[in-house]
Amino acid sequence: MSAGPTAVPATAGYRQSALSLHRIIALSMVASLAVAERSFAADNDQGAQLAATCAACHRLDGHDGGIPSIVGLSEEQFSIAMGAFKSGERSGPIMRTMARSLSNEEIAILARYFAARGKETQRR
Amino acid sequence: MCIEALRPQAARGQAKARIIVIGGGVGGATAAKYLALGSEALHVTLVEPKARYTTCFFSNLYLAGLRSLESLTHGYETLAQRYGVNVVHDAVTAIDPLAKNVSLEGGAELSYDRVVLAPGIAFRAGAIDGYDDAAMQIMPHAWTAGPQTELLRQQLESMAEGGVFVLVAPPDPFRCPPGPYERASLIAYYFKQYKPRAKILILDAKDTFFAQDVFEDGWNRHYPGMIEWLPGQFTGGIKAVDVKDRSVKTARDTFKADVANVIPAQEAGRLAYQARLVDQSGWCPIDPLTFESKLQPAIHVIGDAAKAGNMAKSAFASNSQAKVCAFAILAALTGSERFAPHLFNTCYTLLAADDAVTSAISYNADPETIKVNDFFLSKVGDKAETRREAVREADGWYAAFTHDIFG
Repeated sequence: MSAGPTAVPATAGYRQSALSLHRIIALSMVASLAVAERSFAADNDQGAQLAATCAACHRLDGHDGGIPSIVGLSEEQFSIAMGAFKSGERSGPIMRTMARSLSNEEIAILARYFAARGKETQRR
Repeated sequence: MCIEALRPQAARGQAKARIIVIGGGVGGATAAKYLALGSEALHVTLVEPKARYTTCFFSNLYLAGLRSLESLTHGYETLAQRYGVNVVHDAVTAIDPLAKNVSLEGGAELSYDRVVLAPGIAFRAGAIDGYDDAAMQIMPHAWTAGPQTELLRQQLESMAEGGVFVLVAPPDPFRCPPGPYERASLIAYYFKQYKPRAKILILDAKDTFFAQDVFEDGWNRHYPGMIEWLPGQFTGGIKAVDVKDRSVKTARDTFKADVANVIPAQEAGRLAYQARLVDQSGWCPIDPLTFESKLQPAIHVIGDAAKAGNMAKSAFASNSQAKVCAFAILAALTGSERFAPHLFNTCYTLLAADDAVTSAISYNADPETIKVNDFFLSKVGDKAETRREAVREADGWYAAFTHDIFG
């Protein structure tokens, strides 16, 4: 799959969208309905959209029956795992196909996204 | 009266953009959830006649006695309560693309800024002579899950030992390419335990099928001599059914069944035709980057009904399309940033209770079409442990996937 964001400028609606999209993860991970109004890194919106792809197989609320949880991995752990799937060093054909469809930049965005979500869970 | 009027108005003055998602299957429910999550500036209504949805995927496990139908059934409460989707249990009778409104059977009219239509499949009328609504109650298709699946299970249970089960498999393209062959495998799994002298005959409209070598290898290992597959070129094609005689007629022969499962040729669901979203192929042409119809503006079509290049018609693909479509609508209506779409398909297919094969496909979408980028499929000769592990993964996947849609 082609790499990187397409060239469409962000506008005023973007920030609000990012916060709301983030809410799915927060609501899933914690029982509390209070969602903190925090500012996020510029790639948060893209992180949330990419994470939606992961959510088709991985529960983002910590459950891991049959399929491992990916929330709470450090940035480094996530990037190393995805790199290993991509190169074929780590077996797992579904994850290899997935990893190969992501650019290195997208993997880095996802790594930051899940690491941030993991830290947020710990704080609560 | 407009249903909008029954809802409390938004506190702030500016009207929210109104999205109506039609169809509460995998594509529709996913789209409603991600649209509602994506922005509070949208008012998302999901229209679906049924209160609960039973997944087609994994319904072959129910036929095998490996799952209850209840475990495959999901409601819309979480979409309404957690995400604020306005869930309306009613049937859409018409979509008017000019007036931009949707009429419901209950009498309401809803106006919209965008529609996301996920109508699923319909069966092509007259594809098999004699296979009408009444015939479906005798020779079930069980290709939408629910009462049809229960009917097929009951028939299999009451079939005499040594009976013949005939499965009629459809021409391409159809919902779930491995589905008919997984069904044959898992019904064989049931027969092997309870009716070991039973036979399964697959009458196929096609001359080859998805992952054929992997299936045939599995049938030889698990159910030697039980399953026979006859391609279209051998039978000359499936022509008619005789309900009284419970038989299937091909161009050259008549096959008598004790239980018959007839899966006819398919096309886009009826609402797609009503709204003039279908081309000569029987499916809905769309912009691959947004899933907006090429025939009617402001209506997006996702899931099995969409003509999505080389994407398989599957629940996973519908879920993936729904997200790409939701993010494209969010970008158009709220100005959120657009990123390269990711389209994907994954499948776990059971050959037996301890033997699952997997496939994974990533796709490239461009303004013209959607093409396969990368493809993986289990192979003949995989280690038994790999296949057992895939069964465990499949269970976890079902839980996570249905949580992504309905949870």
